[in-house]
Amino acid sequence: MTELTLAKAIGAGLRRALQDDDHVLLMGEDIGELGGVFRVTDGLKHEFGPLRVVDTPLAESGIVGTAIGLAFRGYRAVCEIQFDGFIYPAFDQIVAQVAKLHARTNGAVNIPITLRVPYGGAIGSVEHHSESPEAYFAHTAGLRVVTPSNPQDAYSMLRQAIASNDPVIYFEPKRRYWTKGEVDLEAEPMPLDKARVVREGTDVTLIAYGPLVATAVDAAEAAADEDISIEVIDLRSLAPIDFDTVEDSVNKTGRVVIVHEAAEFGGLGGEIAAVITDRCFYSLEAPPQRVTGLNVPYPPAKLEDHFVPDLDRMLDAVDRVMGRENSLTGWSAR
Amino acid sequence: MRTGVSEKTQPTAVSVDAEADLPVQLLSPTGIRVESVEYDSWVEDLSDEDLLAIYEDMVVVRRFDNEATALQRQGQLGLWPPSLGQEAAQIGSARALRTDDFVFTSYREHGVAYVRGVKLEDMTRVWRGTANSGWDPFTVNMATPAVIIGAQTLHATGYAMGVQRDGADSVAVAYFGDGATSQGDVNEAMIFAASFKAPVIFFCQNNQWAISEPVGVQTIRPIADRAPGFNIPSIRVDGNDVLAVMAAMRVALERARAGSGATFLEAVTYRMGPHTTSDDPSRYEDLAEREEWAAKDPIKRFEAYLESLGLLTDSVRASVKAAEDDAAKRFRAACIALEDPAPLTIFDHVYAEPHSGLERQKREFAAYLSYIEGGTR
Amino acid sequence: MSTDFAMPDLGEGLTESELVAWHVTVGELVELNQPIAEVETAKAIVQLPSPFAGTISALYVEPGTTVSVGARIVAFDLTDEADAPVERNSVLVGYGPTVETDNRPRRRARGAKAAAEPQPRVEPVETVEPVETVGTEPAPQASGPVRTTPPVRKLARDLGVDLGTVTPTGDDGLVTRADVQAAASGSAPSPSQTPTVAPSRALSGSYSPPAIARTAEESKAARGTRPRERRSPIKGVRRATAEAMVRSITGTPQATVFVTIDVTSTVDLVQQLRQRTGQKVNVLAMTAKAVCLALADHPTLNSKWDDEHQEIVEFGYVNLGIAVATPRGLMVPNIPDADLLSLSEMTDAIASLAETARSGATTPKALTGGTISITNIGVFGVESGTPILNPGEAAILALGVARRQPWEYRGEIALRDVLTLSLTFDHRLVDGEQGAKFLVDVGAILANPGIALTFV
Repeated sequence: MTELTLAKAIGAGLRRALQDDDHVLLMGEDIGELGGVFRVTDGLKHEFGPLRVVDTPLAESGIVGTAIGLAFRGYRAVCEIQFDGFIYPAFDQIVAQVAKLHARTNGAVNIPITLRVPYGGAIGSVEHHSESPEAYFAHTAGLRVVTPSNPQDAYSMLRQAIASNDPVIYFEPKRRYWTKGEVDLEAEPMPLDKARVVREGTDVTLIAYGPLVATAVDAAEAAADEDISIEVIDLRSLAPIDFDTVEDSVNKTGRVVIVHEAAEFGGLGGEIAAVITDRCFYSLEAPPQRVTGLNVPYPPAKLEDHFVPDLDRMLDAVDRVMGRENSLTGWSAR
Repeated sequence: MRTGVSEKTQPTAVSVDAEADLPVQLLSPTGIRVESVEYDSWVEDLSDEDLLAIYEDMVVVRRFDNEATALQRQGQLGLWPPSLGQEAAQIGSARALRTDDFVFTSYREHGVAYVRGVKLEDMTRVWRGTANSGWDPFTVNMATPAVIIGAQTLHATGYAMGVQRDGADSVAVAYFGDGATSQGDVNEAMIFAASFKAPVIFFCQNNQWAISEPVGVQTIRPIADRAPGFNIPSIRVDGNDVLAVMAAMRVALERARAGSGATFLEAVTYRMGPHTTSDDPSRYEDLAEREEWAAKDPIKRFEAYLESLGLLTDSVRASVKAAEDDAAKRFRAACIALEDPAPLTIFDHVYAEPHSGLERQKREFAAYLSYIEGGTR
Repeated sequence: MSTDFAMPDLGEGLTESELVAWHVTVGELVELNQPIAEVETAKAIVQLPSPFAGTISALYVEPGTTVSVGARIVAFDLTDEADAPVERNSVLVGYGPTVETDNRPRRRARGAKAAAEPQPRVEPVETVEPVETVGTEPAPQASGPVRTTPPVRKLARDLGVDLGTVTPTGDDGLVTRADVQAAASGSAPSPSQTPTVAPSRALSGSYSPPAIARTAEESKAARGTRPRERRSPIKGVRRATAEAMVRSITGTPQATVFVTIDVTSTVDLVQQLRQRTGQKVNVLAMTAKAVCLALADHPTLNSKWDDEHQEIVEFGYVNLGIAVATPRGLMVPNIPDADLLSLSEMTDAIASLAETARSGATTPKALTGGTISITNIGVFGVESGTPILNPGEAAILALGVARRQPWEYRGEIALRDVLTLSLTFDHRLVDGEQGAKFLVDVGAILANPGIALTFV
């Protein structure tokens, strides 16, 4: 066991992947000499050389498109998209090519690309640096989408993503890059597409992923002071979603709150709520609630505290499903 | 000026034609006026007052930029992308524009914004995080900065297509960096501009770095060489020579106004600071190169030239010093005084027309804010 | 004045930085933006420019120390006091991620009705006050599906309870798990459970009215084998009630006065209290409280005619009787010392008294010693009545149903919740004037609960 920040754990996972498979290579802007703008790839270029750690031209579509060609030639490219908001120039290559090539070739071609994308807000930055675009990709058949919430998962899930023969979008919760945790570099990981119950409870199921898992655990801790027992689930995988774990929990608690930073409309919370309503209908004591980013462009830094779900907004929704007084009590517009 | 498809298209040409790659220069790095048959006439109208005004602009913008960097270090700005070292490229080109020309820039063009009339504190609103936008584009005929690399080149081209349709002789200018030339958008913009003969100027500040990547990652040949392939003539100009930049810009503007279409300018300059205040150039920069460029500082060079003309008297120096001190002081106070926006403004300006879904969310959120301690602050 | 400066977030969400070296010492005069320290973040080594002009008065951290964003690092004596940061800390100003602390996570306070923003809340459009259902009669259902949750539907199905016949007690007419359980356990018998009892028209959504064309023969057939008359002995609660009523009506000269009032304010207040406390406060409890308050000014209403000793007994306490319809008949258990109870306690006391009575567990002690009573006849849908005194008491107040109806309100006709109170009193003890004034006072409190403050 060794204590690592989440960013360093990802770096350790990359190093291990480069060591274990000489067909793994890293591509991205500023990942070489600089070590990436978040220093995740610090030192890897010196260790593995410029053919395996490639500072690419400033062109996201180029990065992903050439990674596809490398895949045809048997390479496993791990591409870094510098910030969430910079992924859109590569959108066409991702959804029209990466996602569909295996099907288009009747399974003859695998596209084992991993796209690393720092995502999410609450870092006080400027436009395009705080977005949560996961729903676009989870919606696209052919892509796997995962996101770790802690250093151990960051390390293990990255290695699994790189080893997978499917393309995996690996969203990194950048506001948690400096969160420290014990990492067992030899740990046998749980399956990549399994969710984890990170805190058990009996009254409400609180479903979170990535950067908001820590907030959800805090919310559960605070709710315990009011004798509300919250079960927190870290989804880890967003496509597919481990609905068995979700279903077991909701059938136990009868109440569910889903949280994410991405906007509410068309977000994953809606999909999760729909499946829960289908599979847990007769266990539901209250309608599933969502606590999400607002349906607006990610706001300027001084407003982001209002955009990013926090403990209080989560517990307000918990109050709603518990039938306790909440901000919408008496709200006739519902 | 290079025009059209040139003799440089021999199939065996892989090395760079060194002489042709020498940028246009009217001032040597030590401030000595270099004669140019082709370009002298484009700046001969500049009076002493004009020269001193250009000088003051460059000094004030550098001071402002340094002040903004300091404010970021002091926690007053979230982030800041310094323009240090690029003052000549920005002031020289922007001062060649007419009011009715329209500018689309990246996020480092503080000198351009200053010349267009943007208030200094307005330039810092987005970096302080108090607003989505620092100014109204139509009041200064300059769009607010594009952060997505290269996207604005297409916008400028489209604006120029509109000018064409209006029968006007205004010009659209796209400012971008060397890194942006790798983006598909920039190449697509040149294709559109060439195909439609749009009155647009592609003004590339090659500051040698895209964050940590030297320009060599984006291109082997000079960037200016790329445009002729699109049938867009290009000029490679010394970006630290404010006179040469202004001359080249005037040439390009004249072409555009005359209906001859787009021009590509590569202003060869140097990013003397970090990419942004979050960056650490010590990890990648070449110290010898940095020193070499420090000797080509655009302000020192112009200062030496003005001195040689006997224009920098003590009273001029004092007045410029007073102007930069005053600008810095007023800017610092105004920046710190920028207020945090009210919470519910988060819902403003998402749509131009009423939107039932957003209005409902706004009402619910307002109910939440009035319910939670401190919510309305 | 000494001004502290804290470690700023030097870039995109960093939470800590190492202070590598100080370029200044305590006592040194520094200029604005003069580099004072070298700081290494996870991303860069940067020079920290002085945010102020002044003298360094303290350096809080040693070189080599890792400092959390937001922790103070240096103090200045300012050259120009006007430079002092106004109201906000010079650090962060809302930037950066939440600094992770070991503090236990806590919620912010809630329920503040801050006035800074336009009040978005829309007052409940319509609150048909579910007046305390003392009786066992299920309330008529609104049209449309019964409002309840999926697990309660499943419970009802499992228990064979027809949700359409269950009295909802949840907010906005929601049928709760307890409602279904109560229905299943027989305290509120449902037709599906006791099919031998024909559902009354009011209870069953599936009730079909007889065809108009039905002949006498058909009707007779439909009547089936039901006996033409059924005789049962007079006993138990029925006998006790009968005796009490006879004793009351024959032994006491009784008179009844009426007042009709706009109780919208009380209905609103009840709604607000329910939302705030979650407690099932209702109009009956409000009325009970109003009676106790008003009695303080009208002691004769809380007295007794003692024929035996030829004395009038004025009670210094209120044992408040509440008429409860139980499966076995009418009972009037009382709440001892009800005048001492808060509204919340009153609410609980009434609920528990009614529950106890309906379950047949009322003790004889609870049925004696009352000093004044209330009967909530509104639950049966009637507007008013002339209640009969509980023997030994000077007054009984009947509460009619609160109906939404046109009423004068601020000079205009508006739809208001209107209710009639009727008070029967022992005319030996109480004159018409006293009875009327008491009733008007009770009515005034219900019309405007704020009036209660004047009775304290």
